[in-house]
Amino acid sequence: MKDSLVLQSRVPAHPDSRCWFLAWNPSGTLLASCGGDRKIRIWGTEGDSWICKSVLSEGHQRTVRKVAWSPCGNYLASASFDATTCIWKKNQDDFECVTTLEGHENEVKSVAWAPSGNLLATCSRDKSVWVWEVDEEDEYECVSVLSSHTQDVKHVVWHPSQELLASASYDDTVKLYQEEGDDWVCCATLEGHESTVWSIAFDPSGQRLASCSDDRTVRIWRQYLPGNEQGVACSGSDPSWKCICTLSGFHTRTIYDVAWCQLTGALATACGDDAIRVFEEDPGSDPQQPTFSLTAHLRQAHSQDVNCVAWNPKEPGLLASCSDDGEVAFWEYHQPAGL
Amino acid sequence: MASPFSGALQLTDLDDFIGPSQNCIKPVKVAKKPGSGIAKIHIEDDGSYFQVNQDGRTQKLEKAKVSLNDCLACSGCVTSAETVLITQQSHEELRKVLDANKEAAPGQQRLVVVSISPQSRASLAARFRLDPTDTARKLTSFFKKIGVHFVFDTAFARNFSLLESQKEFVQRFREQANSREALPVLASACPGWICYAEKTHGNFILPYISTARSPQQVMGSLVKDFFAQQQLLTPDKIYHVTVMPCYDKKLEASRPDFFNQEYQTRDVDCVLTTGEVFRLLEEEGVSLTELEPAPLDGLTSSVSAEEPSSHRGGGSGGYLEHVFRHAAQELFGIHVAEVTYQPLRNKDFQEVTLEREGQVLLRFAVAYGFRNIQNLVQKLKRGRCPYHYVEVMACPSGCLNGGGQLKAPDTEGSELLQQLERLYSMVRTEAPEDAPGVQELYQHWLQGEDSERASRLLHTQYHAVEKPSSGLSIRW
Repeated sequence: MKDSLVLQSRVPAHPDSRCWFLAWNPSGTLLASCGGDRKIRIWGTEGDSWICKSVLSEGHQRTVRKVAWSPCGNYLASASFDATTCIWKKNQDDFECVTTLEGHENEVKSVAWAPSGNLLATCSRDKSVWVWEVDEEDEYECVSVLSSHTQDVKHVVWHPSQELLASASYDDTVKLYQEEGDDWVCCATLEGHESTVWSIAFDPSGQRLASCSDDRTVRIWRQYLPGNEQGVACSGSDPSWKCICTLSGFHTRTIYDVAWCQLTGALATACGDDAIRVFEEDPGSDPQQPTFSLTAHLRQAHSQDVNCVAWNPKEPGLLASCSDDGEVAFWEYHQPAGL
Repeated sequence: MASPFSGALQLTDLDDFIGPSQNCIKPVKVAKKPGSGIAKIHIEDDGSYFQVNQDGRTQKLEKAKVSLNDCLACSGCVTSAETVLITQQSHEELRKVLDANKEAAPGQQRLVVVSISPQSRASLAARFRLDPTDTARKLTSFFKKIGVHFVFDTAFARNFSLLESQKEFVQRFREQANSREALPVLASACPGWICYAEKTHGNFILPYISTARSPQQVMGSLVKDFFAQQQLLTPDKIYHVTVMPCYDKKLEASRPDFFNQEYQTRDVDCVLTTGEVFRLLEEEGVSLTELEPAPLDGLTSSVSAEEPSSHRGGGSGGYLEHVFRHAAQELFGIHVAEVTYQPLRNKDFQEVTLEREGQVLLRFAVAYGFRNIQNLVQKLKRGRCPYHYVEVMACPSGCLNGGGQLKAPDTEGSELLQQLERLYSMVRTEAPEDAPGVQELYQHWLQGEDSERASRLLHTQYHAVEKPSSGLSIRW
């Protein structure tokens, strides 16, 4: 199992700061990192090395907490503790800040682009989730301000193919939102975690959602449509979401991130115990009660808390991670034989 | 727990997170006395503090007080739990005043006045399946039964608010060549919007906001100034309660701008939401349906005591409609018979234009709900706001959908809202210029339409709130 996850490269991405988050561009050629030094760095390969190709340093006045690429790969959005979200446009070899989205009362914790590229979601310590619409002239308008969470919202993520939004919060819940008329509404609340939910990730099909928490568990939720053959009750035309699996006992500290590989289905976690773990669903396990096996466990992946893990969208098995130690690491994951 | 305040206010740091390094930063004024000396502090059994001077004299020390207003203006430690205490405080307070009145000698009683908003009346009418006029009469009966002396309608006060708003718009429209901040005029009747603007956009946006008082605060002036004079009372002898559709009106009532220093009294002493009145009815074991109606009180002899009156332009006060029609007539000589609303990005963002020979002369908008406020503010900041006037309300769908309104468990939200709109519009409308008593008060109470008294009693001002720069950098 130890040989399943092999270090490929390690770079001091945000020296003397925490590196908070990583995001691959859609073609998998660039990795954006952001951190406590208020900068965003763009990494790309030259030969066998990962090189910092750009530094985006003029957009934010405080920590940059998360970054997200647009589906077309031409824009990068950054969420900052300065209460703003910057939209950067990728030019030939550089990035230009074209818009600053204001409105959140305090720290913006996360930002995510919808698969259509027309919508952007942000979330904040002010407990709200905002949905923004982009028009042809790169103008952003606030479409909805969602106040369903009762605490700090940590993360937002879109369904891989539908306009369905999920958010994770300090109120221990995950909430799902969809458009209704000309507004967005909360259509499901996933309860079960006993502490802060730090991150969420959809599986490749979008029918399942993984959430990770301060309670040291990862929960797998499954969507049940009205009229499903399992007989799971749904209210009206909204799907139900049920927890079908809980990964407990593996993590000794807070799990800060979970990443579900869209290519292989492998599940990676970033943990406060400095470790990275990878899980795979057992072949032949019951879809209504799946079981997952730990296929990689790398203790001391970093010298401090691991904040983020991100699978490359094009190259199977390429995993990036980042840490409070300010470093970004690149790993090669090999699926163990027999899976 | 979700806060009952409007979305705009919820966004302004009413949250449950209190950083460990945060503490109260409000400066408490210390009245320093001349002379230095050592004194002991003695604590009595009831918890009060006494200073014992060297010569043995004792002096009761005053408690340092931090008011609701101070706390909500700060971004500090008021949490959702505390907002619940704040929001639930008021109808107990009214009960205390009424109970105290029963015990007091006749000469010591306070005159208790209740002013009811038409939005609250519509909400109660829907709940009890009554028409608005019957509801108004039965509410009058109820409040008098529990010890209130006068029950008024805030519609009369809104006439002044509308007249001042339309006059202000025309004046600022004519000044737009000279002043960059003359336009757009942003409506001022919504306290959630005002509080948000003061806290988050401050000096940039406040100059655009109309200075006309809201109907609640005009009612405050009418009751504590005009009505007090009529009753031969000083303002502090009147306890003035308003019944409003939203909790944010409590904040409005507590603003220092609406406090009378001379008599140490507020224009509005207590704000009850529709829901709180409903709770009062329940606690008294009263069903509005079964109450015998009472005649309506009129603030002046000219005001109709037969039935309530209303205005054109929908359940949020009709500001856009009245300002638009007045401006079209006054500035361009065009009589507008019917105002046509064009929905834009959503149903809470609508546009009204005045055109002549293909040219747009006036462009007005309504922007309800926080998302539309946000877009409006961003357009303003980028110098891309195309509007001359915007009616801004913090609640989605406007005041009839205020956070303090009654919910109906058996009715869909939008259906209930339509019902409220129907009930609201059932009331006879009259133009503010023609409302009985209005011109009379402009002359005899305010001493003229453009007088200093009119300016002081019908207008207000706004104050940017400095944001504390928190050094909190805990990892979240």
